[in-house]
Amino acid sequence: MPDYLETTVDKFIFKVATDRLYSAEGVWALADGNRIRVGVTDFLQQLNGDVAFAEVRPEGTAVASGDEVAAIETIKANVSVTSPVGGTVAEVNPAMELSPEAINQDPYGQGWLVVIDASDWPTDRDALLGPQAYFELMKAQAEEEAQKP
Amino acid sequence: MNPGERKVMVVPCSGIGKTYGTVSREAAYEVTEDQRPQSTQLVALSLLVLGDADARAAVRAHPAVTIDGCKLACAAKMVQESGGQVAQGIAVLDVYRRNRQLKPQGIAELNEGGLQLAHAVAGEITAVVDGLVAREEAPHA
Repeated sequence: MPDYLETTVDKFIFKVATDRLYSAEGVWALADGNRIRVGVTDFLQQLNGDVAFAEVRPEGTAVASGDEVAAIETIKANVSVTSPVGGTVAEVNPAMELSPEAINQDPYGQGWLVVIDASDWPTDRDALLGPQAYFELMKAQAEEEAQKP
Repeated sequence: MNPGERKVMVVPCSGIGKTYGTVSREAAYEVTEDQRPQSTQLVALSLLVLGDADARAAVRAHPAVTIDGCKLACAAKMVQESGGQVAQGIAVLDVYRRNRQLKPQGIAELNEGGLQLAHAVAGEITAVVDGLVAREEAPHA
């Protein structure tokens, strides 16, 4: 169970897990050696609302950092989830097929999307944000969203 | 409202400004105005929120079918907080998952997919209503 950084913006509470790295687009990467588990942040899932469908790139797919690794359809939007790491999709979360609401219910746990065998994790890792840096960015993004009519 | 004349209360979420909320209301109108006007009664969620005595009495006296556009499930929660029983809660998102070709869009006016999704939701409500009415009308053993 990770620890969280937490903030309240308007009536919403947003959490950032402290045990992983982040892209500015709201995708997290949790490394276990060279295997990188990937999912979306609490902010991204709350921003886009209930997930209707999640289509994830199948095992064996080669992805570069920044490539789409999943397409999520929510009640508000179609969200393209870009990979924070280059490599090959080694594992797909089977829950995405029948219960993609796991993304809403547990974005940092059961709602993970894929595991990627990284081809150059040290380089990709350096391009990602630490939890505190992402937390500050997310707060700014959340406050900007809250200002929208 | 005269709840004594109706058997099943249909309570859609308010969801103003939300596509799935509009779908829930369109489905409720279809059931209560077109498909089963004799055996259903529309109850506005806003009346329950305001504590309207007639609306609260209606959901307490009759089974309710709620239609919710999102996981907050305001309609189901409000029926329960009003002292009513949710005989069946229907989530528009679940119906959409079973009918992916019916992607709803629009808010004030739904696209064709949204209207068809509302029709599909209405069909599910009607089936529930028919079951509840049959149960109420069945002779007691």
